[in-house]
Amino acid sequence: MEIPQGSSIISPQTFPYMVAAFTSLVGFGLIIDILRGRLGVPDGDEPGDPVIPTNYKTMAIVGLAIALHVVLLDISGYVIAAAVCFFGTSYGFGSRKYLKDFGISLTFALIVYFSFTKGLHINLPSGFFEGILGNGK
Amino acid sequence: MGNSFTMLLDGFQTAFTPTNLMFGLLGTFLGTLVGVLPGIGPALAIGLLLPVCLSVNPTSALIMFAAIYYGAMYGGSTTSILLNTPGESGSVITALEGNKMAKAGRAGAALATAAIGSFVAGTIATLLLAFGAPWMAEVALTIQPAGYLSLIILAFATVGTLLGSSRIRGLVALSVGLVIGLIGADLQSGALRLTFGNLNAIDGIETVTVIVAIFALGEALYLASRHTLVPTEVLEMKGKAWMTREDFCRSWRPWLRGTAIGFPLGVIPAGGSEVPTFLSYGVEKALSKNKTEFGKGAIEGVAGPEAANNANAAGVLVPMLALGLPTSATAAVVLVAFQSFNIQPGPMLFQTSPEVVWGLIASLFIGNTLLLVLNLPLIRFWVLLLKIPTHYLYAGITTFALLGAYALNNSTFDLQVALAVGVIGYLFRRFGVPITPLIIGVILGPLAELQFKRALQISQGDWHILIAGGFPKIIYGILLLVIIGPLVWNFKKKFAVAK
Repeated sequence: MEIPQGSSIISPQTFPYMVAAFTSLVGFGLIIDILRGRLGVPDGDEPGDPVIPTNYKTMAIVGLAIALHVVLLDISGYVIAAAVCFFGTSYGFGSRKYLKDFGISLTFALIVYFSFTKGLHINLPSGFFEGILGNGK
Repeated sequence: MGNSFTMLLDGFQTAFTPTNLMFGLLGTFLGTLVGVLPGIGPALAIGLLLPVCLSVNPTSALIMFAAIYYGAMYGGSTTSILLNTPGESGSVITALEGNKMAKAGRAGAALATAAIGSFVAGTIATLLLAFGAPWMAEVALTIQPAGYLSLIILAFATVGTLLGSSRIRGLVALSVGLVIGLIGADLQSGALRLTFGNLNAIDGIETVTVIVAIFALGEALYLASRHTLVPTEVLEMKGKAWMTREDFCRSWRPWLRGTAIGFPLGVIPAGGSEVPTFLSYGVEKALSKNKTEFGKGAIEGVAGPEAANNANAAGVLVPMLALGLPTSATAAVVLVAFQSFNIQPGPMLFQTSPEVVWGLIASLFIGNTLLLVLNLPLIRFWVLLLKIPTHYLYAGITTFALLGAYALNNSTFDLQVALAVGVIGYLFRRFGVPITPLIIGVILGPLAELQFKRALQISQGDWHILIAGGFPKIIYGILLLVIIGPLVWNFKKKFAVAK
């Protein structure tokens, strides 16, 4: 880290070192806690409840839907990115009425897009719909 | 005192302009709307609506936030009673008795006692806030940086160790928050910390992004991983949302007791609304003549905790406004809302922005009244919201949360941060790590560093200043009690069992 000279009595590194010491300390404490058999209780469960096995497939689908939104936003514009994310998440949560889901996803994305850009004047990328949807302003 | 009164009247004048009144009304509506939806608590509600409000002038926007704050709190109790899925920790207790009452066909009475109790508690507590916060701010003006640092550390300790089932996990959450808070350029020297060469990270991590992502995305990933898609049963509202004379007689004392428990525990950093609602429930159970009804739908078990929850929400605003110290996730978001308008809560707030702060307090009164007037008749409309299928609900929450993260700065980097924080939120939930200490760490970490540096600058680098003087010593004494007290308690219990 580059430290500009003579700006202050306290180095900008001091506090981060204190945080680092604290983080290491509690990390060590957590390891001991786990080694002593005290595993964390998942949110919403009571201690002693049977552990619900993780469904990696559904989780990956929802994670992918979010990631696609992040990637698509700058490429395809807001409407498509949001519709893909909405559709993907509802698929991950078990919905299988594709046509209805598709319709709702697109409607949701369009409503949000227009109420933000036209109603609240908050800019969202229009992507390659620029000609049809206006320039997002 | 007299001064506070005239200032409050001025505040009402600010709040009663047609524009601000409209924003107050809109806030109550939006707040209840998102509060009723399961999976969205007050903190997430305000975080999601923050970008929406940035295009409005500060006073109106903060009035709207005040209304959202109370509205979301109110909406949360509806979900607890009718759906048995509390949206936030403060309504967990409400679900206990409230849902049983609803199952016994007494949903109307449960909703009414929650609403009126919230109103009574909210009004009394807001009054206490209006007179207590300026007083506290005046006292706080004399606190030196070292004393201020001790207060922050006390808040860290209480929020970190009192929440959740495991103290070490609370502290782990706090440390992750502190690390996130370090990212970016150091305010005094400009040195870059933990940016790893990423130019987007120089300005630091946006707090709202962290809050929205950890609540909304973390929750969505967690629920998907557990695939708990058992459709929750929405209980029908039978009859009117109103109470009988007997219900009233059984409710008014719990309302007042709940207020008396909730407000002070909000003012001191006691770690959110969990403790006061649990305490209030315990007190009502101990004092009730109908002990056998507890666990089967006792109205006292709804009235007391609901009042405690609302009084607590107002109490939390006292240190938030007067000291700039948030002690719950929701208060943290309100603080961020202030900051996004370049208003810094703290001892100077009442002098630098009296119009904003008194307008806010006045609108808390107005919002509270609007909620009572609007929501009991509208209850059937809110119940309709509970029928939205889970998959669309979470698809909507996820997409809207991403929008909130993006719209703040129009930055794709913020979205990447949101995704990463969402994964952290999932891991925290899966392994029983509480969320609130992380948020408190992100917000108060930089503040702690600032006060730390100021103190050492005053003393020319002599570390003794950190414990010099009476005030820090008292605070660190309390800190020791908070840490050691429960340990001694546990040891005694184990000792007694071993005997």
